[in-house]
Amino acid sequence: MIGLNHYLFVSAALFSLGVMGVLTRKNAVNVLMGIELILNSANINLVAFSRYSVASLDGQIFAVFVIIIAAAEAAVALAIVLSMYRIVKSVNLDQADTLKG
Amino acid sequence: MNPEILQDLESFVPEIVLTLALLLVVLADISLPKLRTRVTFLVTAVGLLAALCFTVPLFGAGEKALFYNMVALDRMAVFFKGFLILASFLVLLAAPGSKELSSTHLGEFYALLLGVTLGMLLLASSVDMLMLYLSLEMVSLTSYIMVGYLRHDRQSNEASLKYILFGAVSTGSMLYGITLLFGLTGSTKMPAIREALASGGASGGNGMALLVATALILAGFGFKTAAVPFHFWCPDVYTGAPTPVTAFLSVAPKAAGFATLIRFFFSGMSDTTTSASQWSAFSAMNWTSLLILISIITMTLGNIAALRQDNLKRLLAYSSIAHAGYMMMGAAVLSYEGVQAVLIYLITYLFMNLGAFLVVIEIFNQTNSFNVNDYRGLYRRSPFLAISMTIFLLSLMGIPPFAGFFGKLFVFAAAVNHNLAWFAVIGALNSVVAVYYYARVIKAMIIEGGDEGAGFKLAGTSRALVWIMLLPTVGMVLFWDRIQALTGRSWKFFIG
Amino acid sequence: MDPTTVAQVIFYFFAVLTVASAAIVVFSSSLIYSAFALLFTFFGVAALYVFLGADFLAATQLVIYVGGILILLLFGVMLTHKLYDLDLKTETFQFFPGFLVMAAVLLTLTGVISKTQWVSRGERPLNPTTIAIGLLFMREYILPFEVASVFLLVALIGAAMIVRRRRS
Repeated sequence: MIGLNHYLFVSAALFSLGVMGVLTRKNAVNVLMGIELILNSANINLVAFSRYSVASLDGQIFAVFVIIIAAAEAAVALAIVLSMYRIVKSVNLDQADTLKG
Repeated sequence: MNPEILQDLESFVPEIVLTLALLLVVLADISLPKLRTRVTFLVTAVGLLAALCFTVPLFGAGEKALFYNMVALDRMAVFFKGFLILASFLVLLAAPGSKELSSTHLGEFYALLLGVTLGMLLLASSVDMLMLYLSLEMVSLTSYIMVGYLRHDRQSNEASLKYILFGAVSTGSMLYGITLLFGLTGSTKMPAIREALASGGASGGNGMALLVATALILAGFGFKTAAVPFHFWCPDVYTGAPTPVTAFLSVAPKAAGFATLIRFFFSGMSDTTTSASQWSAFSAMNWTSLLILISIITMTLGNIAALRQDNLKRLLAYSSIAHAGYMMMGAAVLSYEGVQAVLIYLITYLFMNLGAFLVVIEIFNQTNSFNVNDYRGLYRRSPFLAISMTIFLLSLMGIPPFAGFFGKLFVFAAAVNHNLAWFAVIGALNSVVAVYYYARVIKAMIIEGGDEGAGFKLAGTSRALVWIMLLPTVGMVLFWDRIQALTGRSWKFFIG
Repeated sequence: MDPTTVAQVIFYFFAVLTVASAAIVVFSSSLIYSAFALLFTFFGVAALYVFLGADFLAATQLVIYVGGILILLLFGVMLTHKLYDLDLKTETFQFFPGFLVMAAVLLTLTGVISKTQWVSRGERPLNPTTIAIGLLFMREYILPFEVASVFLLVALIGAAMIVRRRRS
């Protein structure tokens, strides 16, 4: 029988992979993909708890808002990445080092 | 229409005013080509002032939750609303006078400023985890954009890229923690979370889950208040952002982050039944020790790193990290006295920190530099700026009779009164270390000689702004009892 | 075949699809492969939502994540490389420490999840959710709903401002 724990393990795997992506990737767009993985893992948690742990739709509503926020964040992040690319002609994070004092 | 919502709207007027002002600024920016700089500035200024005027009467209202328990209206929320609107207003006044921002069109800046203020008001009054996350992201996103406002400047772009990537990871991890807490307690509302935890929701094997959930949630709070180990973005972002934005970030979102941290830990995670003025954390996790540890590491790291900085913006960035550490001391003692100490510290910090940044802006306007070596001999070129900066720095050090002393006094006193005298001693030692790097700037300005340049010509508005920051910093000692009374009544917040 | 076994097989298929695609996103050295693997991850997550009875959410996930965010990311990939740079290779740094951190996080989380007794306060029956969600948006969740719209406005203004070209 598929139960709550199955979904939680899937989301834990996604979260860990997302963290890995954020820590190891040099390309800014790749880091963004890692962030999307983290947000999706949280959403799976919310919907799974909404199904198995509470008798209401609270988790699902929260997940809708997370999707909204993730979309806005991705848009702003890509805007910043594009703006950066125009100036530096690269989006590798090791090129973003003029600020070290 | 549900009559309850209509009633709640009456208590929500500041936020509505801000939203209206935001919409008006956007419309004005699109439609009026010639007048728009002035009109957008005026609309924003009027909007913020009106919101402030509507906030003041809310102070007397009782404690209640609005909009189906999403946000709370209580004295602490009203205090923070007033504080945050005031901070935004002061930054608004400083923005047009800054050389960095003078080459860009400021219409969107004002819209973003109104947006971030709205987000901060909601953040400081959220009692539901969804509302908390939504408003936190609203504040964060607008901050990312404001940091990258100089879109043709490489440093500004780098700063906002680092900020958004770091911030998105921190808030994403916080969200994961919130979901775990949701699974443990069955609700997203702080009162319900507290009750679920009190009735043993986190006993036994579930203690680990609560620990992991809270650690992840702390990632988000730590990011917003720039506490160690989530402070890495702070120096780079503060240095690359346009200085008015840096000034704003160092005060306002940090204060909002503290407000929500206090609300979360006190009304969401602590046992309120044991005593009226002292709360105890739920047994599975000793928040107090964790918060004390974070406070100590934060203030120490901030102070030590600031010692080596020559760039004033970077120095003030590390200094603000250290000050967040002192403020966390007030939060860590987990009592109403501690909350009052944090509120007092924030009031003093607002004026002295903004004042210091204002002087940095003015000096940049005249000399194009943020380097402390170019501050040498400032006393000869502009005695007014040199003396003002000295006062702000002395206040930041915590020297009486300036405002900063009172902030530190209350925070250390709160620690001592809770049998944490050693904690206060560490704080005091840190303050002594901090004297060195503040004094270095004072020495450069007043004692050392520099290139003899022309005297500074300060615009009347800039001079007035510096006076606005100076007066509270110097004069707070006279109004001391009023401030104490105000904050003494402000720690009451909605438990539910 | 027994329906529960079929359900189990389908679940495992989608779960493995999601996690394997996520692994490709994170470990692949080609940016395009990562982007397309992300597509499959989002699809897998939408399928899991269907399994959990969240029909509205599954449709929203597909429309916004696949149809919006993924397209944005692909634009981001394409616009940040020179036209002739067909390789689109990406580098990594600090792979091994990052891997250790990931392993630590994964072990901690799985340990916590398996040890915890997740209390069930009631299971929601698998009904269609759209109407209920719509009603909730207009009642209990009306404040976040309205705030989200202002939030999107501000994000829109900000993002558009950042990528706007220089006037002169």
